[in-house]
Amino acid sequence: MILGRVIGQVWGTKKNPYLQGRKLLLVRPLTWYNPDVDTGHIVCVDRVGAQVGEDVVICLGSPARWNLGDTRNPVDAAIAAIVDNVEIYEDAARDVGFGFAQRRKPQDMVTR
Amino acid sequence: MIQGQVIGEVWATKKMGHLQGQKLILVAQREKAGFAGRVIVAMDSMDAREGDEVVVSFGSGARNVFMPGSRTILVDAAISQIIDRRPVI
Repeated sequence: MILGRVIGQVWGTKKNPYLQGRKLLLVRPLTWYNPDVDTGHIVCVDRVGAQVGEDVVICLGSPARWNLGDTRNPVDAAIAAIVDNVEIYEDAARDVGFGFAQRRKPQDMVTR
Repeated sequence: MIQGQVIGEVWATKKMGHLQGQKLILVAQREKAGFAGRVIVAMDSMDAREGDEVVVSFGSGARNVFMPGSRTILVDAAISQIIDRRPVI
């Protein structure tokens, strides 16, 4: 699972029958731990009720498909949770050497 | 499966049904030369602590950590082991 921020919603009238009635959200993966990595946007099925601007946890792969109750869904990304805040253990993060302290942190991130 | 280090925790109150009551932690993936910069959100049922070295299972196998044989849980990364000692490579 990865962290992402919802940046918009995707609408379409012509779609696969299994996608009927599904809300699709456009999500930008959060790469605050490594801003050099350039990732593309992901379209996710949303059953939790996420709003634009919220941080979410995205589940990828076949669990996302099975979660809709049928293995024939053409889905490989789903929103699993809406993030309240992210807590970083400062000492452990320093071992890893990502330099959280130097870079700009998301507003809902707290360090301990 | 990958090896990583626990660097944080994700707090979320609105979750998909089966995830209620489960802890989400942030794991930095360890590679041959240190850490590559990849951070994963993983479900934690082993009570991993700050700085612990863990093994993370991915994909369909991650669901078996919580409910063996289940297909309905929305999880694609789960802590399957906490490492006591790792070889120096």
